[in-house]
Order: sequence, then structure tokens, then C-alpha cells
Amino acid sequence: MEEHKVVEVRNLVKNYGSKDFLTKVLKGIDLTIYEHDFIAVMGPSGSGKTTLLNILSTIDTPTQGTVMIDGRDLSRVSNQELSKLRRDKIGFVFQDYNLLDTMTLEDNIALPLSLNGASAKLCMQKTEQLALMFGLKDHLEKYPYQLSGGQKQRGATCRALITDPKIIFADEPTGALDSKSSRDLLECLKAVSEGGRATILMVTHDPFSASYAKDVYILKDGLIQCRISRGESRKEFYDRIVDVQTSMGGDFT
Amino acid sequence: MKMMELAWLNVKSSIRSYLSLVLSLAFTILIFYNFQNIIYADTFAVLGSQNKDYIDIIIQVISFVLGCFMFFFLWYATNVFLTRRKREIGVYVFMGLSNQRIGTLYMIETTLTGLSALILGLFTGILSGTLFQMIFAVISEYEVTVGFGFEIKPVLVTAAVYLVMYLFFALKGYIEIVRSSVLEMISAARRNEYVRQRAGLLLAKALLGVGVLGAGYYLAVRKGGMEVLTNALTAVILVVAGTYLLFGGLIPLLFQNLARNKIWLYQRQRSLWVNQMIFRMKKNYRTYAMVSVLMLCAVTALATGFAMRQRYRNMVKFDGTFPFQLISDRDDLDARARELITSQNVITASSGAEVLTMDGSQVTASESYNWYILIAYPEFVSMAEEAGMEVDLPEPAEGEVAAASHLVMLSLLTDQSNVRIQICGEEYRQIADSTTPYLGYLQKEMSVYVVSQTDYERLLPLGEKRYVYNYRIGDTGAFAQTKEALDRLQDEYPDSWIGRIAVDPDSTELAWTRVIYTICLFLFLVFVLAGGCIMFMKLYNDAFEEKARYLVLKKLGFSRRTLKKSVAAELRVSYLLPFLVMAVSSYFSVHALENVMFEHLNGIRMISVLVTLAVFLVCYFLSVPVYLKNAGIDAGA
Ligand SMILES: Nc1ncnc2c1ncn2[C@@H]1O[C@H](COP(=O)(O)OP(=O)(O)OP(=O)(O)O)[C@@H](O)[C@H]1O
Ligand SMILES: [Mg+2]
Repeated sequence: MEEHKVVEVRNLVKNYGSKDFLTKVLKGIDLTIYEHDFIAVMGPSGSGKTTLLNILSTIDTPTQGTVMIDGRDLSRVSNQELSKLRRDKIGFVFQDYNLLDTMTLEDNIALPLSLNGASAKLCMQKTEQLALMFGLKDHLEKYPYQLSGGQKQRGATCRALITDPKIIFADEPTGALDSKSSRDLLECLKAVSEGGRATILMVTHDPFSASYAKDVYILKDGLIQCRISRGESRKEFYDRIVDVQTSMGGDFT
Repeated sequence: MKMMELAWLNVKSSIRSYLSLVLSLAFTILIFYNFQNIIYADTFAVLGSQNKDYIDIIIQVISFVLGCFMFFFLWYATNVFLTRRKREIGVYVFMGLSNQRIGTLYMIETTLTGLSALILGLFTGILSGTLFQMIFAVISEYEVTVGFGFEIKPVLVTAAVYLVMYLFFALKGYIEIVRSSVLEMISAARRNEYVRQRAGLLLAKALLGVGVLGAGYYLAVRKGGMEVLTNALTAVILVVAGTYLLFGGLIPLLFQNLARNKIWLYQRQRSLWVNQMIFRMKKNYRTYAMVSVLMLCAVTALATGFAMRQRYRNMVKFDGTFPFQLISDRDDLDARARELITSQNVITASSGAEVLTMDGSQVTASESYNWYILIAYPEFVSMAEEAGMEVDLPEPAEGEVAAASHLVMLSLLTDQSNVRIQICGEEYRQIADSTTPYLGYLQKEMSVYVVSQTDYERLLPLGEKRYVYNYRIGDTGAFAQTKEALDRLQDEYPDSWIGRIAVDPDSTELAWTRVIYTICLFLFLVFVLAGGCIMFMKLYNDAFEEKARYLVLKKLGFSRRTLKKSVAAELRVSYLLPFLVMAVSSYFSVHALENVMFEHLNGIRMISVLVTLAVFLVCYFLSVPVYLKNAGIDAGA
């Protein structure tokens, strides 16, 4: 299935600090994400997952190597185009939701689209449609402080989806959720992916969450160590992920 | 010593917020000192002790007003400062400092800022004192020479008033810190405002606010008699209360309903800033209301000043219409009077008339005079035309009178309709009232009524027939000599009754009123600047609290341009809301002023509203980049 490449990373290197005190976080990552992929990146704490995500999502810049998003080399676009790219092509889901406490869930979800200048009608339509899909129909009037963590995270995912981005970057989206809420969210993400709505890159250290993806990459010591692809059932996939994890030296949590 | 060092370090690290506090405090000290200085420096003594006394009384009153202003300003500034300090207190608690020590630290810091503000304020005050007096004299049109005198008394009074107030607020802050718990202190920084206020409560507040404000407006412009004073005071209270209720009720209600209308909300950056405004409204409405009231005071003060000046000029003109007037039982004095006057001066206009005088017991009117003058309408018209004055009184029918009255500084009798007077037991209806000085100063000394020819002839036997002679002179500088020459007239007719009125057009009798104009002008500037400052400080501080939110928005990929637009819209509305409410209220306050001062003030209201708008615009343009920086949208904060 040779599809459209949404993200293409070649020889990505990222160092922090100055000459005397250099931390080499990423040491040469190669990664290609095709349209409709659902990829999970796993790895022990401090392995550079967030760093990788930040670079892909244009928040951070690489020390070396090229990152292409939707066919465009990030190092070759102006700042203005970069924020346009971020606005139109990328959706974000954070571990701590980052919903704005000043507005209702409905306004939170509609915010990116309305700030992009879409018509109010369209904003309302898409908000409602997404809320229905994520089971948030009855919570739209509420403020973030009136919502549970799971509802907040599903709301944040709706917000990420409303602009129809090419790709969604999710950094530990289930990190702060209990297992029931996690499962609800992951089912939603899976539905999004299978419905062909967006390509998803999720960072997680939890094998259960990872097992909802189509492919899992293991990041360790600054390099992608291996790729595990989903087979027939999720249960079997989960077991394989845990096996690999154990063989690489224990729990990632 | 350790505490001192820590305090000094604090001051150094947040020098800008200290600087803004010090500067605003120094500004109020500077203003207060300069007014005190005028009392103690004897610059205005040359205007005569009467004027000097009046000026001192006025300045004492203004000092009191400024003192109140200083009190509220200190309250506001120290409070803003305290909340910001409280936010950093959490850090000290984890450093292991006790509440007492944090309180002490706060005291040292506030003492440092307080004292440097005092020194700066007094220093600039003393430097600018002479300049201030000169400006004061020039605007008040006083010809006095201002020397470089220095008095210690105003310095001491200013320092004492300021220190007492400042110490009060510093201690208040200290006690607040010592008594608060750590948890409270940390959460004080991000106390969650109620996002959406209860609609029922808001509606009640809104209705009450509109009602109270409407009642205030109504009372302010209602005409009447002596009750106007109580009406005006009630109106002030109602308008202030109404403004608070409006910002506490109607405006949040309006915004909340707008936010519910998604078709409106999801346009441009509204979903961002409208929600933000609603979120902060509960905390900010007092500031909006305060600024609005302050601006209203400013505009009203300026209008008062202008009205006073206009009134003063008209009064001087009124009094000087006919510097020389004669009233006598003889009708043949004109030729000789002319000779005597022209021996020293030139006559630029004159008039004469036959009138009927009555004493106070014969006439009953709302204002009682010792003497009343009645004049027949045809005689009145020919007299006015002789002096080249336009007749602005209609012809009274039988049983009617038209009053020719004089100008007063302000009159509470704002309702001039349906006035009736009694002449010799008969009732007459007053159909009109004019303040054109047909009879010059006589109109001030006596009450003048124009009556119909028939009534005049009927009343003639009941009063005394007199002849009035009015002369205007061309050379006011030769007033004294002319007066001396004219005085010979009375000696030439020893058997006749001749009254002589001489009014020096250059008299300083009313000079003190001019100081009111100057003070009003200064008050206007002080209030407008203070309003702008308060708004600016409020937004300056709010911006820090928005930092986390804007960080999220930046992470979500919104461009600086979008965020800047949203911020600009929010700040624009923040400044515009109090301004608009003020603009509406000012219409009524100035209208009330027009009623008691009988002057047209709409022009000056427009100008002062525009000046206020200009000050706000400047503040707005300064606020935007500062906000962007403090909220972390622009790097470098
Ligand atoms: N701004 C920075 N400056 C210096 N070092 C940094 C910076 N950001 C991250 N690092 C370092 O880079 C390494 C990778 O950090 P990163 O946040 O990507 O880890 P992670 O895989 O997301 O870990 P976790 O699972 O705990 O979230 C860490 O050792 C961290 O200390
Ligand atoms: Mg991480």
C-alpha cells in the first residue's frame, strides 16, 4: 500500500546544551508515516519521545537532518508558513489536555476552526458532529472544571480534529486517565483512524494504549530500535509488545 | 541584614513593577503638594485678603477631594502590588521563611517604595512648585509675580497626609500576609473566578442597575426649586451605584448572552477574547466602574470650570455694561451728566428711561429686594434700542410681567415656568425672563419688571416716578477721574434726589472665581490620567495571569498575528466600556450643570469627552505591546 507520505524524517539528530555539556537525545532517526497510519512510539522515560514529537510538530527544531510534513521541508519554510502549516496540517493532543478554562467545551472544540476564519455555521456543524462521535453531546455546555479527565481528553481530541489536519500528534494522551477512560479515548482514536479522518502519531509508554495502533516503534538510546506491526487481534498484538518491552529491559513506565 | 538584602534583591529583580508603583504614587504626591503650596505660599495675597481667603477655602476643599483621591489611589495601587507579591510568596514559603518574616520582607519593600515615592514626589513638587503657581496664575488670569519662595509647611502637611495613609495600607498588607495560610497564598494567585455568573442574579443586578442609573439621570436633569440640591446629591449617589451595578450586572449579562449566540461568537477572534472577558468580569467590574466614575468626574469638573469661567466673564461684562448710572426724580440731568463724563472720558453708549419704583413691602416675589422697578413696555423698548441692545422680551399683556434679571454664579431655582408675583396685592404672571443688562447694575441691585402700558399707568400713583440714566465709557483706565467729575452733579442739585451708581469694570471683586476654573482644569487632568493609569495597571497585571493560557494557544499553533488581534480586541473593549458608560452619564451630569448655571455646555462636554478618548487611546496603544509581552505572546518578558 504505497500511499501518500504525510511525515518523512531522515537522519534526525537532536542535541541539547552547549559544546562542553552536550546531551545527545536523538541520534539519527528515520521514520516515514503514510496517510491513515496509526503509529505509537514507545520508549523508556528520557528516551526522547517528547523531543521527537516536538520536532515533528514544529515546536522545536532539529540539530541535523530533515523533516518533511506533507511534502514540505520544515527547514526551508518561513516562520509565517510554519505557523500556517501548524495551523492547517497538524492537530495536537497533550497529556494535560490544555483546554482553556475560560470557555465551554463547545467553544474549546470550535476555537481552532473559528480562529482560522471558517464560517460560524461550519464551526457549529463540525463541533456537533465530532461531539456526537466522541460521546460528548451532553457535555458541550460545560466548562473544563466540570468535566472528567476522560471527557476533557476526548474534547481535546475533538479540538485537534476539527480543522481536518493531515496528522495528529498525541503526547501520552492516556497518561492521566484511568483504564476505562483510556479505553474510551483509544476506541475513539481507532475509529478516527479507521474512518480515514486523520493520520495519528501517538507517544506512550503504556503497551495497552500502544496496542490500539497499527504499528508500534520502540525508541531507545536515541534510535528507533524496532517496529512491531499489528496482526489479527489486539490481544495478540499487546502480548508481542510486552514481549519486546521485556526483552529490551523491563517496563517503560 | 539578610532581610534587607533579600528585599533589595526583590526590588532589583522586579524593578519595573516597583517603578510603576513609585511613579504613580509620586504623581499623586506631586499634585497634592502643589495645591498645599498655593495655600502656604502667599502669592495670591496681593489679590486682597477677601480673594485670598476664598481661594484658600476652595483649595482646602480641593485638597480634601485630592486627599480622598489619594486614599483610593493608594488603596488600589498597594492592593495590586500586594496580590502580585502574594503570588511570589509561595516560593519563600518553600525557602523556609515564616509568615512573619515574609511580612517583614513586604514591609521593608513597601517602605522602600513608599519613601522613594515620597522623596521623588516632594522633590519634583518643590522643583515644579513655582512653575505650577505661575501656570495657575496664568490660567486664572491673575497678574501676580511668583517668586522662588520655599515653605516647609506644605512639605510637612503633604508628607504627613501621605505617610499616614501609606502606613495604613502597608500595615494592612502586613497583617493580611501574616494571617494568611500558605495554601491560601498560593491559591490567591490563581483563584478560580466563577466562570459564568448566575443569570438570575445578573438579571436582578442589571435591572436594578438600569433603574438606579435611570433614576439618577432623571433626578440630575429635573428642574425645580430648592430641592435641586438634594436631588443633585441623590443623583450623584445613584449614578455611582448604578454604574457599579451596570458593570456588575448588565454588561456581564450582555456578554454571556452574546457568547451563547454561537453565530456571533464564532467570528474573527471573538470566541477567544469574549470568553476571556466574561471570565475576568467578576473580578474586573469594579475597576471598570471606578474608571468610568472617575472619567465622569473629570468631564464634569472640566465642564464646571468652563461654565464658571463663562459665567464669570458674563458677569463682569454684565456689571460693566453701564459703569455710570444715575437714578433721580429729575428728568433733565442727561446734558449735564454727559458734560461731566466727557470732560474725562468718552461715552460709547447710553440710554435713559422713565421708571416706577416700589419698595419691598409693595411687591412679593420669590426673591425679595429692597426696591423694585417697573417699566412700561414701550419705554423699555425705546431704552433698549437707544443703547443698541436687542429686545429679547415679549410684550406683556395686562396682568403679565417680563423680568429683566441678572446673572448669578449658579442658581438652584432651575424651574422658571409658572412664576407669579404680587404687585400691590394683585397677582401678575411672569411670561419671560432675560438676563440682558438693559439697566446694567441696577438690575442686580433691584428687581426689574417690564409691564404693559395700561398696568404701568394704573400703578403709577402707587409708586415713585424716577428717571434712569445709563452711560458706558470708552476708557476704563480713567474710571476714577470720571467718577470724581460726575460726583459734582449731586452738589449742583442739592434739592433733588440723585442716586449714582459707579461700577469699576476692572474691579477684582470676583477674581477668586477664576481659580475654580484653573482647579477644575487640573482636576480634569488628574482624574483622566488616573483613570488611564488604573486601567493600564489593571491590564498590565492581568496579562501575567493570562500567560499560561497563551502558552497553550501558542502550542496549538495559533500565530502571533491571530493572538495579537484577539488581545487588541479585548483591550479595546476594556477601554471602551467604561468610556461609553461615562459618555452617556456625562450627558446628564453636564445637562444638570447647564440647568443650574444657565450656560450651554454641550460643546465643552464634547471636547472633554474627546480628550478623555484621546488619553484612553494612548493608553490602549501602550497597553497592547505591554500586554503581549507580559502574557508571553511576544518574547522578552
Ligand atoms: N530543553 C532541554 N534542554 C536540555 N535537555 C533537555 C531539554 N528537553 C529535554 N531534554 C533532555 O532530553 C532527554 C529526552 O527528553 P524527553 O522529554 O524527550 O523524554 P521522554 O522520552 O518524553 O520522557 P518521558 O517519558 O519521561 O516523558 C531527557 O534526558 C531530557 O533531560
Ligand atoms: Mg515526554
